Amino acid sequence: SQMAGAKKATPRFRRNYELATGVMRFSAARLYHKRGVALCKKTKIAKKAVAPTAKFVTKKVGGSKNGGERKVLASKGAVYLKEDHVLDKPAKVARNPKVQTLRKNITPGTVLIILAGKHKGKRVVFLKQLEKTGLLLVTGPHKLNNVPLRRIAQSFVIATSTKVDVSGVKIPETLTDAYFKRTHTKVEKKGEQANIFASGHQDYKVSEQRKTDQKLVDKAVLASIKKHPEHKFLRGYFCTRFSIRKNQAPHNMIF
Amino acid sequence: MAEAAPIVARKNDPALNGRLYVKAVFSGFTRGQRNQNETSSILKLDGVFNKNDAQWYVGKRVVYVYKAHNKKNVPGAAPSRVRCIWGRVTRSHGNTGSVRAKFHKNLPATALGQRIRVMLYPSNI
Repeated sequence: SQMAGAKKATPRFRRNYELATGVMRFSAARLYHKRGVALCKKTKIAKKAVAPTAKFVTKKVGGSKNGGERKVLASKGAVYLKEDHVLDKPAKVARNPKVQTLRKNITPGTVLIILAGKHKGKRVVFLKQLEKTGLLLVTGPHKLNNVPLRRIAQSFVIATSTKVDVSGVKIPETLTDAYFKRTHTKVEKKGEQANIFASGHQDYKVSEQRKTDQKLVDKAVLASIKKHPEHKFLRGYFCTRFSIRKNQAPHNMIF
Repeated sequence: MAEAAPIVARKNDPALNGRLYVKAVFSGFTRGQRNQNETSSILKLDGVFNKNDAQWYVGKRVVYVYKAHNKKNVPGAAPSRVRCIWGRVTRSHGNTGSVRAKFHKNLPATALGQRIRVMLYPSNI
């Protein structure tokens, strides 16, 4: 229905219209509700007070050693057919990605070669796999090759057969994924900057917490390296970097 | 007495970095005699001479590094003229150790006969 002086409305169907001869789109009952007639009616139905029914009913049980009473559900829930349990599936599928399984040759104490990143080529000691992300926690030791307590993905690492005994190394419980997670500090851009990447970030500063944790872990790891039967070579091993030389092919190498 | 030059700890010297990739040459695109398919490149790897050995490299990431005239921004470093096209080794090719690779962008023809680096990651050993 158009008001006088209203804009020409876009053409639309009447509220109820014929689909086919004698068949309306909405039934009389449906239209009753669509018109909002029920809402306009004055009669109000008083809400019946529902007495709260007890969920459990205590029933007497026979037998001298049975405690005499049992609490039984007043009304047992509906029993669904096995097939109908399909309807129990939640609308949103929960994502529980599995943490990547550790390669069999990577065990705590294995010496790994880092293949990419700032520390590529360096040999480090594997400490443990972190629970949440599955990344490997490694340490240089920092004194030997400047690699701190750090996370690495398994794919970016070659496991060597050299192993250091780190059973005596107690890794602090605080070293979790949250501890290593990067925190992005937003820096206000001031005026024209030649390279936003160069000056937009604040330089990373090592926290005191990291330094103390590093010292604690490295002390134990360095002690284990000293106890190793080949410790004389191992120290130099950690200090030097791995690289592919002439006529060396990794597919032929035993690491 | 003149001040001694500050001694930089050698353990962080980037110059000590060695090669962490296998050298390869871009020998051409996959092709029949008269037609070529630019989406798939054939790489000839250094020191790899049979199909078994070539299989080790399948899945490894591969990069074509080249220089251009104009400098481009590099995240976390000064703008540089060095550019690269990344890709992956997809499968072995033939019996004598060649390998096929697919790049994010097809390799340019100027790369024919040029050096391609086959990285050691994603590692499986």
